[in-house]
Amino acid sequence: MQISARHLDKMTVFDISGDIDLSTSPELRKPLLRELRELRTPRVILNLKAVRYIDSSGVASLVEGLKASRDVGSRFILFGLNTTVREVLQLSKLVRIFEICENEEQAVAP
Amino acid sequence: MDQTENPALQSEAMISLRNLRVSYGDREILHGISFDVMRGETLVILGGSGSGKSTLLRTLVGLERPSSGEIWLKGKNIAAISNEEMDEIRKKIGMSFQGGALFGSMSVGENVALPLREHTKLENPTIEIILRLKLDQVGLAGFENYMPSQLSGGMKKRAAVARALAMDPEILFFDEPSAGLDPIIAAGVDELILDLKKAFHMTIIVVTHELASAFLIADRMVLIDKGNVVAIGTTQEMRASTHPRVRQFLDRVPEPEVSQELDYLQMLTEENRRPSR
Amino acid sequence: MELASQIGGSVTDGLAYLGALARLGVRAAYFTFVAPFQGKPLRMQRAVSQAMQVGVGALPILSLITFFIGLILALQSAYELRKFGALTFVASAVAISMTRELGPLITAVIVIGRSGSAFAAEIGTMKVTEEIDALETMAIDPIHFLVTPKFLAMVVMLPCLTTWANFMGILGGALFGVAQADFTVVTYVKASLDALFLRDILSGLAKSIMFGITITAVGCHEGLSTGAGAEQVGRHTTRAVVVSIFLVILVDLVFTALFFFLSAG
Repeated sequence: MQISARHLDKMTVFDISGDIDLSTSPELRKPLLRELRELRTPRVILNLKAVRYIDSSGVASLVEGLKASRDVGSRFILFGLNTTVREVLQLSKLVRIFEICENEEQAVAP
Repeated sequence: MDQTENPALQSEAMISLRNLRVSYGDREILHGISFDVMRGETLVILGGSGSGKSTLLRTLVGLERPSSGEIWLKGKNIAAISNEEMDEIRKKIGMSFQGGALFGSMSVGENVALPLREHTKLENPTIEIILRLKLDQVGLAGFENYMPSQLSGGMKKRAAVARALAMDPEILFFDEPSAGLDPIIAAGVDELILDLKKAFHMTIIVVTHELASAFLIADRMVLIDKGNVVAIGTTQEMRASTHPRVRQFLDRVPEPEVSQELDYLQMLTEENRRPSR
Repeated sequence: MELASQIGGSVTDGLAYLGALARLGVRAAYFTFVAPFQGKPLRMQRAVSQAMQVGVGALPILSLITFFIGLILALQSAYELRKFGALTFVASAVAISMTRELGPLITAVIVIGRSGSAFAAEIGTMKVTEEIDALETMAIDPIHFLVTPKFLAMVVMLPCLTTWANFMGILGGALFGVAQADFTVVTYVKASLDALFLRDILSGLAKSIMFGITITAVGCHEGLSTGAGAEQVGRHTTRAVVVSIFLVILVDLVFTALFFFLSAG
């Protein structure tokens, strides 16, 4: 898994690629929670376009991010979900809980 | 799109057994078993008690070592690999035992979390969320602080499935999922297996002697008798089979009487041979 | 001929049993001293909770029994010493026999009854309910997960319990000393300490560590060799107790003889 951050005006976009699994999800969790809890960025956006696969630990990390965003009053947005990722979220009944956009324009729109 | 219908996925063998023989001491239990389990299918291993089906399952998860033959799983012959390599494979498989085999000294949540705590560097809050997701998947949301002794038989099995799912396995094994459960609870466990199959496209291998449950959950079935594969095929093929042993098993015909007088006499008067271990 | 082959059979069985115990001990030692440096951390939490059960749980009964043993020792030695008007030697007699022999031995017997049997029953039950198999299919080594913390707990707690047992035994002797032999508690304890050499205490503690290893190995081995069926758990638990007591006495004999010849030479 690769993760890189783009800092825009009052928002941060994380571009993630590869597999989010048991061994890599801590690398996602850490910057995510830092962005939300410490920097309190008002909007955190996850670009999942290049994510091929996400397992339960990845889902759990996203849930933690969502919870942290609620705690500090930020927005937490996912976009670019492929079928596999969307299916995994659907199974965990999380599709409706996350704010999911179709593309980056929607996600960064005010 | 339902991926279990995908022929490309169907054609890929997840597990291949080649002439597998397993013995306890000098008694051979399995006499050369060969078949393939395809990716994403649910294969039911059927057989009466003493047929060797449980031994087969134990061998597939690495609890017994075969005396000869090959088991190809994820590109490795697990009949001939080191314990360390086997442990790596075990992290990718989940097993639900007959009685659940939950650790009595740990809560349900700790049971589910155990493989994650042992094998991953995930933080506690992450593990906590995963175990709740898993418990929710098996219909036990909110039970994480119960002790196994406080659960009913059916709930124990569900909790055991949640634990087997903890590491997101590619293959899930079930040993007699409906044993010891009343018919309604047992149907619930069958339902759970069907849900998992639909949801995760997981390869599922179930050992059972329950015909109704087998026909409900199976894509394909293998009938094992006296340590040999008698028949293998889809549920339709099995129903239509004319093979005498298959018919006997499916129509629940009791074992034929020992008819040969000489054999019978020998059986009665034979010197007692203690089973050697 | 029949007899010879039977004896031969029992000897090889016995050696095979000791071999199995040794293998278990070596595996546990590997997980204690080597594996932590290869990224498999020790389960300190499990070891500590195990130590609480083995150690703290045994304190009341151990205190009571060793106090009585000390008192009995005082009475028994006074029976002879009285004839020579040497009742003041009761203190040293009790102190030496407690620290060198009875303290470690009585502690071991109590720990066998409380914990050795519990190890066999716990692991045996887990075997019967397929929990050990479940550990293995989860790629968790039962020796690492279950057995090693027990070894750690025992190796640490047995010397501690033994020290406490020695102290309680001396107190028991003091009860007699104060009542019958013109001691005060302070002079009695002082007389006991004067009679003791460091090597008395250390040899007792060294033995207690060996006892701890023996008890754990037997208890866990019996548990792990439990077959199918609930009645097997009972059988192996009983065996764990009997075999442990026998092996503890054997270890005791070997070490006592060793110390004897070492100090002589």
